Amino acid sequence: MNTRLIYRLLGAILLVEAAAMVPALLIALGYGDGDASAFLLTILLLVILGGLLRLCTKTDHTNLRAREGFLVVSLAWVLLSAFGALPFVFSGVIPNYVDALFEAVSGFTTTGATIMPIVEGQPHGIMFWRSFTHWIGGMGVLVLTLALLPQMSGRTSHLVRAESPGPTLSKIVPRMGDTAKILYLIYAVLTVINFVALLPTGMNAFDAAIHTLGTAGTGGFSNYAASVGHFASPWVDWITTFFMVVFGVNFAVYYKVISGGWREAIRCEELRWYLGIYAGVTLLTSLSVLTEYGNFPTALRYGAFQVASLMSTTGYSTTDFNLWPVAAKMLLILVMFTGSCAGSTSGGMKICRVGMMCKAGMREVRRTIQPRRVQVVRFEGKTVEEDTLHQVGVFMFMYGLLLILGTVLVSLGGRYDLETNLTAVLTCVSNVGPGLGAVGPTGSFAGYSAWTKVLLSFLMLAGRLEIFPMLAMLHPAMWRK
Amino acid sequence: MRILIVGDGKVGYTLASELLREGHDITIIDQNEAVLRKTEDSLDVMCIHGNGANASTLVEAEVNRADILIAATASDEINMLCCLIGKKLGAKFTIARIRDPEYNDSLSMLQQELGINMTINPERATAQEISRILRYPFASNIEPFAKGRVELVEFLAREGDIICDRPLKELTSRHSDLPKVLYCAVEREGEVLIPGGEFAIHPGDRVHVAADIVTVTQFFRCIGRSARPIKQVMMLGGGRISYYLAKMIERMNMHVSLFEINPEKAKTLSEQLPHADVIEGDGTDQDLLEQENLAGMDAFIALSDRDEENLMTGLYARNQGVPKVIVKSNRYAYKDVISSLGLETQVSPRLITCNALLRYVRARVNARGTTVEKLYRLVDGKAEALEFIAREGDPYIGVPLKNLSVRKGALVAIILHQGKVIVPFGDDMISAGDNVVIISTASGISDLNEVIRR
Repeated sequence: MNTRLIYRLLGAILLVEAAAMVPALLIALGYGDGDASAFLLTILLLVILGGLLRLCTKTDHTNLRAREGFLVVSLAWVLLSAFGALPFVFSGVIPNYVDALFEAVSGFTTTGATIMPIVEGQPHGIMFWRSFTHWIGGMGVLVLTLALLPQMSGRTSHLVRAESPGPTLSKIVPRMGDTAKILYLIYAVLTVINFVALLPTGMNAFDAAIHTLGTAGTGGFSNYAASVGHFASPWVDWITTFFMVVFGVNFAVYYKVISGGWREAIRCEELRWYLGIYAGVTLLTSLSVLTEYGNFPTALRYGAFQVASLMSTTGYSTTDFNLWPVAAKMLLILVMFTGSCAGSTSGGMKICRVGMMCKAGMREVRRTIQPRRVQVVRFEGKTVEEDTLHQVGVFMFMYGLLLILGTVLVSLGGRYDLETNLTAVLTCVSNVGPGLGAVGPTGSFAGYSAWTKVLLSFLMLAGRLEIFPMLAMLHPAMWRK
Repeated sequence: MRILIVGDGKVGYTLASELLREGHDITIIDQNEAVLRKTEDSLDVMCIHGNGANASTLVEAEVNRADILIAATASDEINMLCCLIGKKLGAKFTIARIRDPEYNDSLSMLQQELGINMTINPERATAQEISRILRYPFASNIEPFAKGRVELVEFLAREGDIICDRPLKELTSRHSDLPKVLYCAVEREGEVLIPGGEFAIHPGDRVHVAADIVTVTQFFRCIGRSARPIKQVMMLGGGRISYYLAKMIERMNMHVSLFEINPEKAKTLSEQLPHADVIEGDGTDQDLLEQENLAGMDAFIALSDRDEENLMTGLYARNQGVPKVIVKSNRYAYKDVISSLGLETQVSPRLITCNALLRYVRARVNARGTTVEKLYRLVDGKAEALEFIAREGDPYIGVPLKNLSVRKGALVAIILHQGKVIVPFGDDMISAGDNVVIISTASGISDLNEVIRR
């Protein structure tokens, strides 16, 4: 194993994290809430540690094999969260380190589940950092590192493959470094558009920034207990709904639109599945809550927002959907499973996997009727290799297994009811944010014990990195010389 | 530049990794997904699964934005189709690998009609390389520069050679009859050194010298290597390289004995090569080799499909005292190991093809601002010999070399001034229009001004 290179890469990532804290530091200085020193201290720590790692481990050997690539990615995410939690502790906003770690993991994995009972009146810098972790974590820290450091662009496909969501890695231009740059550029531009769109609604710039970062990364941290519902404005609701759907789309689609192939872009099969499922579930949800709101437009406003929020795995809420009828709640759980498109910032199992498996399922049904008929599964107009189908199938099984085992382990703590525990685990693995019951939109994860929070943090990381990198890190073969 | 390579085989892969190192954006198309996955893992290129002769696959690979399309699949016909469709879809320059001798005669028509800008035939190129080596048997490798007026020659220094173990600057004073040649590069234990005056050659070094061919011949005579011209050649294997090579060297008055195990192939070959002795039999059979007078041969060339067979019979021939043994080896990574066994001359069709293609790609880059006329990669790409034309108005024109600073790891090897070859010393200068050959250990040099400064 090329340990020197691993240290070097981790050093680079710590430096990138230090740079990522600078905006939060500036905001802390600007508002003067007294949290600037917490950022200064963390940045200093990151720069010293990252600098040392880079300076002490010179290597010409830049070959990164699959094993090392996956290890770097999972270690990087653990380290990022461990250090990202420090400002919360240093500023005294979250004095307990385990709580702070949960909050940081929840931020970076774009989950948005919080243990903070009171979010109003906290220092601005801290709140900004909390939301900014969504933005970085959404597109990926290693992708960012790759975009910033051109010399890394050797054998880096393993890094990006481990970090970017979806069953297969699709480059949009031949070089990985250029791909990373383009992705971040599209991401940044869309984020700015979202921010600007929110301003005319009367939101102040800070609130708009917090909610834009939460939407772009499909995270869901808010600086109000009532989340987006605090603004009680149909405009804010619809704008946020629109952008939550936008950030759930594969970014390669936007690149195609820009480079002139919009026709090809709208032909994207995953996009059609995504919009189709979204429209269908929104309609059903809106109808099932019709009696709560009296008229269809209002029901649609709340329904469309909530489905977009949970399907894109953002986790904002405009109403306490805990109080909705069971039909609506079940529909929301359904989209928490599916998530959005591969190559977006969202979590969940991803639409293309669901699509492929549905088709594979149909094939099996057909096979029982016509056993000798040769059939292939086609997706995006191309034959899906049996190998890929197998991987997707195993992935979905592992997803379910993680969910059930996670629920068992959480329930062993003896707290809350089944609905709470099951949706708490689902919301963590799918990186959504709120669940149902005690962890619903008005609740928080504060009531869980410390070790349950560590377990949930692990599940969030596993969900964000699509399970296998995190499990591989725990496998003894990974650490064998 | 954007380069599209169709066919992720040996040549496609090697070419992609070389071009990537030079900073081009590479897209590879292949039908075998497993091969593509391996490539994607090790190279930073875009891989597209599909048939390269299929328009929609080419469109997906953005062929309309490709500066060069290189078709190097196993099939000539697919390569041609691929170039035809690629050209129609907007590829600026197309290169096809076409190896079947059947197409040889109609090649120029095919090129014109199908819009193929250039074709490459690996077997023919390999045969050409071997025939050049046979012409100058003292060298293990030879490469012409400046339209053939300068030769870059590689040979293995042996124990007792008069050039060994002495600083280079003392050589001419000690041996007054030793002609002046330029010692461009020395390969020692896998490392490439650009020698200065204090440098001493050790036995076992692979030395590259440059001069015109008359001087080179004198040089080798002087150090006691003047092998007599080759008259009798024995070849193992009746493949395409053998066919092309036999055709070529028959014209050079060499006699060819050729072993081919397959009776039908042997019969066809004897029809195609009326002057050669085509022997039907197993060329690895020692009795048969001796029966055909292996020991009396001037050269033995092992060109079968199997590297191992080539190596074994090559060693046997060396053992029997054949002065020049050439073996074909596709696994270039083992070059040093095979060399250490005494088989210093190896040819690799893959590398030769890659070199030729790289040269053309660089020639295309030329048109976009660089001035490399010719490029030759020494020692598995660890050093390069580059030929430039000095342009009017460049700062180094007319200044004696001793007043110029040359980049570290680089050497002005040869100046070709008005058809005259100059091995440059401190007082020589470059005039506008001269061909200048640079040897460098750094790759990616694109202009003479990067190497020489005032």
